Amino acid sequence: MGATDEELVDAFQAGDLSAFDDLVRRWERKIQAAIYRVMGTEDEARDLCQETLLKTYRALGSFKREARFSSWLYQIALNLCRDRMRRRKGRTLVSLETLETDALSLRSWSHGPSPLELIEAGALSRAVADAVSGLPDEQREVIVLKEYQDLTFLEIAEILDVPLSTVKTRLYRGLGQLRLRLERQGITRAAPVPAPLP
Amino acid sequence: MECPVVRDEMMEALYGEASAETSRRVDEHLTACAACRDEMASLRRVRRDLGAWKLPELTRSRGTAASRHRFRAPLAAAAGFVLALGASFAFSGSELSLDEGHFAFRLGRGVDALRELRAAELRQRREIDELRAAIVPVVAPSASGEAVVLERVQALLRESEERQAQRLATQLRELSIRTEAQRRSDLARVSAGLSYLDGKTGQHIARTTELMGYVLQAAEKR
Repeated sequence: MGATDEELVDAFQAGDLSAFDDLVRRWERKIQAAIYRVMGTEDEARDLCQETLLKTYRALGSFKREARFSSWLYQIALNLCRDRMRRRKGRTLVSLETLETDALSLRSWSHGPSPLELIEAGALSRAVADAVSGLPDEQREVIVLKEYQDLTFLEIAEILDVPLSTVKTRLYRGLGQLRLRLERQGITRAAPVPAPLP
Repeated sequence: MECPVVRDEMMEALYGEASAETSRRVDEHLTACAACRDEMASLRRVRRDLGAWKLPELTRSRGTAASRHRFRAPLAAAAGFVLALGASFAFSGSELSLDEGHFAFRLGRGVDALRELRAAELRQRREIDELRAAIVPVVAPSASGEAVVLERVQALLRESEERQAQRLATQLRELSIRTEAQRRSDLARVSAGLSYLDGKTGQHIARTTELMGYVLQAAEKR
């Protein structure tokens, strides 16, 4: 068992810069994955992860331990994601992901293929990603932290600085929204066979 | 869900974070309340579906660790330059947009943006200076150092373009597969509809023929 995050932070603050390398090795993948699921593009995940680690490196010397290191790291990453989202909303950007989203909505418009066809086309993963990306920011963050980062309710409450009950409510609403979106795409519930008109 | 009082406890149970006592209470409630039982089953299905979202092979972000910083002062300077360039584009109002089916890249908002650009440049220069101060300089700046930086930046650009091309090819392939699946599905539906219409038309003709027979019989009798 290696050193804990807090021990590595102590070492870094005592002048051992290599301790930061250990922290990066431990957290880089997880943080990048979380950012990817929140933002939806690989390029932004890479950029924002790098920015998160750079910001962490510059601020680690004065880290006060008011929260766990991991919570603090997630907070930095999520704040950067929110800033990027705000900037993104002010511009008319058309990415390939958006084009693909449009293709998905066209599919649901015409009753859509069955779940089996979705799986055959290798698109189920993309359809779930699309559904998650359509959630309000607050719900998407909680879904990502809980479902894909496997954090406890308490850890998420600490990261987001909200009460426990708020985390559960956002999660519940997020799951409800996802259920509707996935049903619309014929995923969560099997699509009914269209009956001919009498 | 019709019972908001137990919602929090149900969420705890859903994610395996409920205490033994809470689990027991939730189980009892689910036994008695069909609506909550259905809700719980439905949430479990959503969670199962969420598991289908697989991560792509994410490439690692570069130049983040402390040890790397010590050897990458030129790279950091280049990154700062690229950052400044990007920020300049952003402040100048450049944007990529889709207009009548064509991508358009617009540079600049006009002469009135010059002041903003100058301010942005100053801010970015300060940022670069801070970055330089945070890095232990190992390699002294030199002409060969600049060439290395330039080469590195070009390599990064090439990598980025290759990545984009690969992604585009993959997405086009997926789109093609999906379109084909959609086409087959639509054809099957159209075919089923036509068969149904054929059947109905056949029945209608048979009934009309039968009625005509009755009419003829009646006429003959008369």
